[in-house]
Amino acid sequence: MGEGIPGLASAYTVLFTAALIFLAILLVFCLIRAIIGPRVADRLVAVNMMGTIVMVIIAILTLMLQEGYLADICLIYAMISFLAVIVLTKVYMGVYLEKKETAGRTAAAQTEAAGGADAESMISDTAGKEKNHGDV
Amino acid sequence: MAMFEWLRFLIGALLLVLGLGIFAVEMIGVYRFHYVLNRMHAAAMGDTLGIGFSLVGLIVMNGANLTSLKLFLVVCFLWFSSPTSSHLIARLEVTTDPEREKHYREVPLETLEEELQEGQEA
Repeated sequence: MGEGIPGLASAYTVLFTAALIFLAILLVFCLIRAIIGPRVADRLVAVNMMGTIVMVIIAILTLMLQEGYLADICLIYAMISFLAVIVLTKVYMGVYLEKKETAGRTAAAQTEAAGGADAESMISDTAGKEKNHGDV
Repeated sequence: MAMFEWLRFLIGALLLVLGLGIFAVEMIGVYRFHYVLNRMHAAAMGDTLGIGFSLVGLIVMNGANLTSLKLFLVVCFLWFSSPTSSHLIARLEVTTDPEREKHYREVPLETLEEELQEGQEA
C-alpha cells in the first residue's frame, strides 16, 4: 500500500500492525469469556464474537499482503461461522428436549408401576405441564 | 496526487480506528453485564457496527476494485446472519434456563393491558 509516496507505505504498515495487535488482544479476552462463561449460550456468543474479530483480521491481511483471494476466504469464514452457530444451537436444543422427554417418560412409568386410581390423574397432570412447556 | 492519497489514508484510518473502538466497547460490555441475554446486546454491536466501520475503512483505503466488492459482500452477509444467530442463541437460552425467575419475569399481554387500563382510570 502507498508505494511511490514518501512515508505513506510505512504509515500503512504501522496502522495495520497496530490494528492486528489490538485485535489479537481482544481475541484473547474473547477466549477467556468462552472459557469462564457459565452457560452454553455465553460460550456461543463468545465464539460468534471471535468469528467476527477473525474476519476483520483476515480483511486487514488482505490489504497488508495485497492478496485479493484472502477476501474470498473472509466471505467463506463468515458463512461457516454462521453455520456453526446454527448447528450448535440446534444440537443443544435437541439434547435438552430429548433429556426432558426421557425424564417425563420415566416419571410416568413410575406412577404407573405404583398403580392406584390417582396414577391416571398424575399422568394427565404431567402431560398438561409438558404441553405448557412445549409452547415456549 | 500525494495529497489525495494521504487524505484517503487518513479517512480510512479514522474509520478503521472507530471500528476497533467499537470492538473494545463490545468487549467491555460483555465483561460488565451479568446475564447472557444482556451480554448478547453488547456482542451484537460488534457484529454489525464494528465490522461495518472497519471494513468500510479498509474499502476506502483499497479503492474501487473487486476486493472491495468482496469486503462489502461480507458486511452485507453479516447484516442478515447476525440477527438470525442472535435469535437462535436467545431462544436456546430461554428454553433451557432452569432458573429463569432469577433473571427476568414473564408478563402475559392480558395482565399488561389490565395494568394499562387501571393506570388510565386512576
